Amino acid sequence: MLLPDVPLQPLERGHLNAMRLSGAVFFAAAAIGSAIPSYALSREWTWLPVWAAPLVLVLIGLWSVLIAAPRRWARWGWAWTGRELHVAQGWLTQSHTIVPALRVQHIDVTQGPVERMFGVATLVLHTAGTTHSTVHLPGISRATAEEIRDAIRAKLSAEPW
Amino acid sequence: MVADGTPRRMHPGTVAITFLRKAPQNVLAIPIFAGWMSGRGFGWALLIAAIAGGFALFFMWLKWRRFTYTVGAEELVIERGLLNLSRRSIPLERIQDVSIERKLLHRLFGLAEVRVETGGGDADEAVLDSVSLAEAQRLRAALRGQRVAASVETGEVAAPAEPHALPVVFAMSPGRVLLLGLFSFSLVWLAALFGAIQFLDQFIDFGWDQIKDYAGAARAEAQARFSVNAVLIVAALALALGVVSGVISTLLRDWGFTLRAGEGRFRRTRGLLTRSEVVVAMRRIQLALVQRGPLRGWLGWQALSVQTLGGSNDPSGRQLLAPLATEAEVSELMRIAGLPPFERLPLRPVGAGHVVRSLIRTVTAPLAAILLATVLLTPLALIGLLVLPPMAAAALLQRRYHRFALSGCGLQVMRGVVAQRDWTVPANNVQVVTLHATWLQRLLGVASVLVDTAGAKGRGAPDVVDVNLPDARALAAGLIARVD
Repeated sequence: MLLPDVPLQPLERGHLNAMRLSGAVFFAAAAIGSAIPSYALSREWTWLPVWAAPLVLVLIGLWSVLIAAPRRWARWGWAWTGRELHVAQGWLTQSHTIVPALRVQHIDVTQGPVERMFGVATLVLHTAGTTHSTVHLPGISRATAEEIRDAIRAKLSAEPW
Repeated sequence: MVADGTPRRMHPGTVAITFLRKAPQNVLAIPIFAGWMSGRGFGWALLIAAIAGGFALFFMWLKWRRFTYTVGAEELVIERGLLNLSRRSIPLERIQDVSIERKLLHRLFGLAEVRVETGGGDADEAVLDSVSLAEAQRLRAALRGQRVAASVETGEVAAPAEPHALPVVFAMSPGRVLLLGLFSFSLVWLAALFGAIQFLDQFIDFGWDQIKDYAGAARAEAQARFSVNAVLIVAALALALGVVSGVISTLLRDWGFTLRAGEGRFRRTRGLLTRSEVVVAMRRIQLALVQRGPLRGWLGWQALSVQTLGGSNDPSGRQLLAPLATEAEVSELMRIAGLPPFERLPLRPVGAGHVVRSLIRTVTAPLAAILLATVLLTPLALIGLLVLPPMAAAALLQRRYHRFALSGCGLQVMRGVVAQRDWTVPANNVQVVTLHATWLQRLLGVASVLVDTAGAKGRGAPDVVDVNLPDARALAAGLIARVD
């Protein structure tokens, strides 16, 4: 925890399932796609079974869905203090971003198809900054996202610079 | 009056300027290529050139004809396009400033390019290229006058000569421009020159090969006789060319550098052939950056630039206010800009982990390359190890020169051993603060505080790297607490 003073809230459980589903779909597609080069290689080297590359991808996919996804999910955390939004994330490389509400230019609440399936939404804050000018907070319920959005909107200043 | 609400076109000379500017690619390159491909000779190439030129001229005229601008009571409207009509309206109150630039061709035709700068990041929001100089000055007066609401009332639009009325706060004497040129020694220009020669070589065929042959023969002869001397001569020649090209490019860019201040803005004019004028509104200044280059820094010279929100001609998003100035001059400019002075005393160093990290970062890649070359190519590559001690020394010094302080007025950061940089960021200009720690940083008990400001991308952000974790937490919390 980079900033222990700020009590962080975990993401919605639904977001973990959304992460798992997107990961599973990605690796399933990759495993099927890798069958063609794997077949070509197995003709070159007869000792190499056709299912080698898909098997490796399936194993990586299983690791990603069963082990990595929960860890990454657990590392996310957020807090809305009424003055600023905190977003913490990262497993090996950790980061904790603080956006003062007064500096926000505009706010989006987005919900992709997978997110809609699991009842979560993403809050996107845009600031006038450059390198971190958009800050994403995924995996909160739509109601929470709209609540934070309305709270920040009430604080927006006319001249954020 | 300019603000009369009637659409205007740019100066007809625009067509001529655009034609001349694009002539090398439109008229020369294509026909020469075509003529060369066909092998039918000079007359044929000339014919193609005439046709291509005619087409180009027609389309440029059409573009000029379809481009109108209107200064209304509320907004500036720019309409253009033949098939895709585009109409852009810029509310006058959003116009931050109007800058005028005159390149060589503009000056030959008595024209000027007008850039209307708004808060948006897009550099090409509104460029009028080109209008007559008088129209440019009238436009500036009208667009700015609307905002300031001063001279418009009196209807006195024809006398917008106030840029020269503002007091000069910094100017480069010819001697100082020359000095800057000597510091700007660079082999980059030399490389560009050789690149251009190589490039032209593809198109021009009049005897360059022979010259190269002669030069090659002479060099072979010379090398055969006194190869060490020849190498020294070539090195000296390259050095001299580097100095000369540095001086020339600096003279072209910074000749007559004048900075005026007043009415809440800086106005900078510079350039020998291309006179450029840039306006920096003081309240748009996000941070100040003082740079001390390797040699000039040791001699007490500094460069001051500021980062502004939007409306910058400079792709880096920073404007140079003083390219070569003394410390006293820089602090005076900072005072005029309303920025707190840079104080060295309260600065505190970053964590000891910074030494480890900078050492790993600077030494690992060269060491690996040298070892690889030793194994694969020749044991002589081990000589390369000689460059490592100076690099390691610079890395070890990094922590001494990377310090920060958070005071009532804002954040101050210094960084860099050979090329030193000092940032001054007023607290209210901080947009987003991020604490960032890789696994190595967490192992060392440090974290980086990334400070995001508006206006400039990429390198040169006032980040504080490898701060001890408690300090980093305090810095991040303090920065956020000062936003109001």
